[in-house]
Amino acid sequence: MSINNMEKPLIQVQNLGKKFGEMEVLKDISVDIYKGDVVCVIGPSGSGKSTFLRCLNRLEEPSGGHILFEGTDIVDKKTNIDKHRQKMGMVFQQFNLFPHMTILKNLTLGPVKLQGKSEKEAREQALKLLQKVGLADRADSYPNQLSGGQKQRIAIVRALCMNPDVMLFDEPTSALDPEMVGEVLTVMRELADEKMTMVVVTHEMGFAREVATRVMFMDGGYFLEENEPGEFFANPKNDRLKLFLSKVL
Amino acid sequence: MWEKLRDDFYQNFIVDDRWKYITDGLQNTLKITFFAVLIGILLGFLVAVIRSTYENTHKLKVLNWICGVYLTVIRGTPVVVQLMIMYFVIFSFHDPGQVFTAVVAFGINSGAYVAEIFRSGISSIEKGQFEAGRSLGFNYAQTMWFIIMPQAFKNVVPTLANEFIVLLKETSVAGYIGLQDLTKGGDIIKSRTYSAFMPLLAVAVIYLVMVMLFSQLVKVLERRLQRSEH
Repeated sequence: MSINNMEKPLIQVQNLGKKFGEMEVLKDISVDIYKGDVVCVIGPSGSGKSTFLRCLNRLEEPSGGHILFEGTDIVDKKTNIDKHRQKMGMVFQQFNLFPHMTILKNLTLGPVKLQGKSEKEAREQALKLLQKVGLADRADSYPNQLSGGQKQRIAIVRALCMNPDVMLFDEPTSALDPEMVGEVLTVMRELADEKMTMVVVTHEMGFAREVATRVMFMDGGYFLEENEPGEFFANPKNDRLKLFLSKVL
Repeated sequence: MWEKLRDDFYQNFIVDDRWKYITDGLQNTLKITFFAVLIGILLGFLVAVIRSTYENTHKLKVLNWICGVYLTVIRGTPVVVQLMIMYFVIFSFHDPGQVFTAVVAFGINSGAYVAEIFRSGISSIEKGQFEAGRSLGFNYAQTMWFIIMPQAFKNVVPTLANEFIVLLKETSVAGYIGLQDLTKGGDIIKSRTYSAFMPLLAVAVIYLVMVMLFSQLVKVLERRLQRSEH
């Protein structure tokens, strides 16, 4: 199913479990994600898909199992997670731009403070990426002067400025006004075209169908079905997936 | 009537250079307030960081407990009593000077209130900001320093300013350890001239003017800080 099945996976999730108190949100999940994969995770709310994504960079502490990222088990407490997070960009539903900094500062903070780049170097890279998403003229604005769609595009650029090996998207369009969803999806589509590895938790079925290399359906803390998008949407096998698709499509 | 006022003024401030009680006292009041504010900010910042870190990560358990005791004791007792204990008990064997004692006592007192102000400022920042910082690869301390603190500080400027106004006025009890601050200065004049009106009014006006000036200053600062968030 994946393009590079011969290669070692970029992310190997092994028997991942997550409990919040007594509640078991993720149950023994194992998934391999390869370089260049665009994995769309869909499912009803409360199914655990956001928790799954947040476990991948340990924003949520897994209760059990292993996550091997580029060969290193990042669930291991001895792993310096901060180092590995630099290679895993994350985009949030609520954008989470830093309101006290200009857009440019939002973009260069990480590269300058964490990767030792010079201000100039970081700025040039940031401006180039801003140009690509059509927001070069907003470099000196503050986040609160931007629309939701613009904020989310900036948030994507902020993650990209760290030159990540994988991008994690946590419902990136769910907080947007409908007319702004398109501009964000366009940027994500371009990323996919450039062969960025992406894991996207989303409710945008159109995006999943057209852009994903794999679509996975999660419910009740399990992945119930996984397939390439054509087959996934045309011939769903799992009953719960059928029910879900009949409601959202 | 004017005659009487002029004579009063002359008796209270001019004779024997009595105005010096006011200016000397004012100097002490400003000195104590300034240094106590510094200690308060430093101490408050430290305590707030410890308490927030404990709340977020459950680390620093012992330090957090010590901070809890500090906050309870300081906020649960009157500042005059703390000042007297500092001077007559803690520094009873070795007198480091009244002004120094007052700076320490008021600084420690203020630190407790500032700590709670900072802490509420930190917890007012939404969790997403913290997660965004961590997801970029910043560690806990870096996220606090670059992302949370600047925003928290901006949010608490008005409350913080209010705390310092309270502190300035609270130093008026410094006379309890025989320290000649602004209030005590007025009081001394009163006891010399047996007239209360002029010296006490002068003292009140000076406090008022200082508070108003400071409030103005804070307003300017607030406006400048706000400029970045339209």
